[in-house]
Amino acid sequence: MSTIAPKFRLGHFIASLTDNIFWGVVLFTLIGLPIVFIVLFLIELPEIDGKLLSPYLAVTYIADPSRTLPIIQSLIQTDFFKIVAFPGFGFAALIAGATIFIERKFLAKIQLRPGPFYCGKVEGILQLMADGLKLISKEIIIPAKADKPIFWAAPVLFVATAAAFVSLIPVAPGWVVADLDVGLIAVFAIIGFFPIITILVSWAANSKFPFIGGIRALHQMVSFEIPLILSLLGIVILTGTLNLSEIVASQAGIWWIVFLPIGAIVFFISILAELERIPFDLPEAESEIVAGWLTEFSGMMYGLVQLGSYVKLYAFAGLFVTLFLGGWHGPMVVPPFPEEIITEGITMGPISIKIPGLPLFSQEMLNGTLWFVIKTMGVIMVILLPRGVFPRIRIDLLLHVGWYKLIGLCFLNLFIALGLIYGGVLGPEGFIQ
Amino acid sequence: MTTQFPPGIQLEKEDERIMTLNIGPQHPGSGHMRLIIKVDGDYIVSCDPDPGYVHRGEEKMAEHRNYLLNIPHLERPVIHDSCNILYPYCLAVEELLGTEVPERAKYIRVIASELNRCVYTMYWLGIYGIFLGHSTMFMWPMADRELLIDLLEAMTGARVTHSFFIPGGVRNDVPPNFEDRVLRQLSYFEKRLKEYEDIFYQNPVLKSRTEGTGILSREDAIRLGVTGSVLRSAGVDFDLRKKEPYDVYDNIDFETQVLKEGDSYARSRVPYLDMLESCNIIRDALTKMPTSGSVRVKLKPNPKGSADEVYRRVESGRGSLGMYLVSNGTPQPYRLKISVGSFRNIICLPYLLKGELLGNMPAVYWSLNYWPVEADR
Amino acid sequence: MGSSNSTKKPAKARPKTKRKASKKTKRKATKKIKPKTSKKTKPEVAETKPEVAETKIEVAETKPEVAETKPEVVETKPEVAEKQVPEKKPTEDLPKFEKSIADRIVSSFGTKAEIGYIRPNRIRINTKKEDIVEIAKYIRDELKFDHAESVSGVDYPDSKEIEVVYHLGSYTDPQLSKQILTLATRVPREDVPNPGKDNTRMSSLRDVFFSVEFHERECFEMLGVFFEGHPDNRRLLLPEDWADLPPLRKDFRIKGR
Repeated sequence: MSTIAPKFRLGHFIASLTDNIFWGVVLFTLIGLPIVFIVLFLIELPEIDGKLLSPYLAVTYIADPSRTLPIIQSLIQTDFFKIVAFPGFGFAALIAGATIFIERKFLAKIQLRPGPFYCGKVEGILQLMADGLKLISKEIIIPAKADKPIFWAAPVLFVATAAAFVSLIPVAPGWVVADLDVGLIAVFAIIGFFPIITILVSWAANSKFPFIGGIRALHQMVSFEIPLILSLLGIVILTGTLNLSEIVASQAGIWWIVFLPIGAIVFFISILAELERIPFDLPEAESEIVAGWLTEFSGMMYGLVQLGSYVKLYAFAGLFVTLFLGGWHGPMVVPPFPEEIITEGITMGPISIKIPGLPLFSQEMLNGTLWFVIKTMGVIMVILLPRGVFPRIRIDLLLHVGWYKLIGLCFLNLFIALGLIYGGVLGPEGFIQ
Repeated sequence: MTTQFPPGIQLEKEDERIMTLNIGPQHPGSGHMRLIIKVDGDYIVSCDPDPGYVHRGEEKMAEHRNYLLNIPHLERPVIHDSCNILYPYCLAVEELLGTEVPERAKYIRVIASELNRCVYTMYWLGIYGIFLGHSTMFMWPMADRELLIDLLEAMTGARVTHSFFIPGGVRNDVPPNFEDRVLRQLSYFEKRLKEYEDIFYQNPVLKSRTEGTGILSREDAIRLGVTGSVLRSAGVDFDLRKKEPYDVYDNIDFETQVLKEGDSYARSRVPYLDMLESCNIIRDALTKMPTSGSVRVKLKPNPKGSADEVYRRVESGRGSLGMYLVSNGTPQPYRLKISVGSFRNIICLPYLLKGELLGNMPAVYWSLNYWPVEADR
Repeated sequence: MGSSNSTKKPAKARPKTKRKASKKTKRKATKKIKPKTSKKTKPEVAETKPEVAETKIEVAETKPEVAETKPEVVETKPEVAEKQVPEKKPTEDLPKFEKSIADRIVSSFGTKAEIGYIRPNRIRINTKKEDIVEIAKYIRDELKFDHAESVSGVDYPDSKEIEVVYHLGSYTDPQLSKQILTLATRVPREDVPNPGKDNTRMSSLRDVFFSVEFHERECFEMLGVFFEGHPDNRRLLLPEDWADLPPLRKDFRIKGR
């Protein structure tokens, strides 16, 4: 007789359930409710229909569906929503998940195999969820002599840095978490954090393979940050601004990739190196140094780093779209919101409901987001493609490419940008603008 | 100790720069062996191969079984090249017992051996691909290998451990319509090999990182006694199928593949060229094969050889594979020494790796056409 | 409660099975003990050895002389040569090329080198262990055999010797590419081996043929033949803490065989 739970009694089980419910209620009333009220007290609440939204009003509004939308609309405009959900982390994580799925299927098609197939019935669409569950349920093992606080903090830091990077990417007109005047400088500053995190991890893990991987990551990222920054100077010269939203706005006519193709190519290669994607995945080179600086991570710590790296992938692809491919610009394909719903309301037989607060999103915003996502996914596909085609490059070749060839091309790109201005093609007195 | 000096600039002892890495036995880039590598920065200072993690005493086991019972366990060291590892054993036992193999069996042996060489080389190539980070080159050969395995399954009844060669011939005849099936499969296989050329061997990144690494000169190759593709990539034209033709290899038209460079790229390319040549050999053997006839000579139960010794060798997927069989007149071999290509090739690894970058380690190591289980026996 | 039940059941069952097993396996157990002790305790090895030797003689009656002529290597060799004599008599059968090679060795070394056999593509030369380096140098320099294919040790407990066999081949000379020259020598064997420290030793051929490096290491650990002058006499395949007999010796028994 198997004895999984030898002392099981149904009565005890039910008692434990009721116990849990009791304590839940007690804790919620004693701690949860005060916190909710304190938060509501501290937050600057929006005004709706001339009335300040008090907690009491909010509860009554939620009960009335016709009054819910204004609350949602006001919620959408808050910074909290922008950071957590739409142009910020949630959106990025969603695209990161989609990227993982696409990567698997795309790579599988290159390699003449089906890829994830069973999980979720339809083409293995739930495979990522299964992997996530597996990672969560795994034990987290930390090397005995590791520097534990840094080792614990590193995956979180990595995700946080990636999220900070995401916050700078403008998705649609006005839809950006942090619309900074020094947006591009901020991007460079945030990119500079990644090598620090990797070297911290590899040192804290106190193990040989992570150490070599960390050193490699440091070399690679530092040597490719320079061409990355230099390749964007051409755009800064042409637009005269560092604000990413303004750079996008300047591409309403012609995208910068048309004028600065060399800069775009250099930037793309530097992206691959910064992301540790396959021709440049030396810091995680499997057959040489196990998993590089990720060797000692296990369970969800590894999962967090993976999430962070895919969020970073999205951010870099978004940056490429923002700078070279015209960001949100594109032909208007989203149909305008029907006028009669706003003026007359929805009529269903005898009943007609007039819902205030519609439309939730403007037409420009939806169209911009659509084009941004399409372009970003296109760039991501191109970033994924080398994985099926190229083997790994060697460290000396990598550094040679970074320091000699790419930097040289960057200067060429810079001269082209200057030539465009002084030749009178672009700029305030040019014949295009 | 190092307080006087800023770390990394000047170290008290030369040794403190050196870090010892245990590549294996639990490492994605090692196989079933350990390489104790000392690195100075990213440069390898010394390498000490430590095989033996899958040693199972085949030679000792062979002393306690008779000549037929030895067959299934002798193919275990290289299950995906099992025909070729049984080949010298069968030749040796036949020479010892004085058995003459039927003509048709000889041709079937040649076909099975060449098919098996392709199966082995595809597996090796897949692992070489993933060692260099080329995942497509891992998936493609693994998938295309299945088709050849299907052929061998139709021929022998087993997917990998065929136990097909026995002293006195082969275990059974080929199935009907086998010839058509082989030819159809081969034409597809050759088409795929051309695509491998495009995506892998002509890949600029691959060429840039493997060409000129781990160079083995012709003199060193001879001195170190390496064999197989490692030897032929160093410019020595030595293929046992040509030099010491066993069974019917002297009737078959084919060429040996020799390259001169002796670097990792050449070493990885020779087995690939061998596969193309194997297709020609199989085609030729199919046309020259007698259409009917017996395929095995019945041996006496528990055959006894005279008190004598035999050394026979064949060209396997990894090079010369020799078996030294000593008999004292009992039904069991008195001593069976298996001299395998992997074991002979691993000798040159410390010399090739010295002074290379750590990133070259997988490329050099696996280009030696090494199979750890076979080396350990 | 459940757990206590589960523990009780096997406790009841145990004595029954013990009784049964003890009756049945008494004979087997006594049999099995012998090989175990012979492996692990060294003094007993010497005791069990006479038995081994006896059985070998019974089985291998074709070679009774080997057991008798224990004294020295030299005396066993003529017998091997004599065995080939009946084959030799129709001298046309002997392949000429191989014979010419063998004759060159014999003519330059006289009694030091002895022809074991000459067959198509295979030549065997027997030597004493003192002369092997000299002969190997001659084979390398004059006959152009440039590498060793394998080094195998064969244990002959009846004559208290271990034979070390070098299979030499040639890559440089296309004429010789078919040939395998078997260079064999015999070293004394001790009943209680102490690898590396006892009398079972010979000089290494590593300076002559570089390719024997790993093969000689393997021979050292598998048969306990110490190669003097080998730079790297460590274990290769066996674990570092192997404290048993060298496993390819005949008195190392496999369980159940």
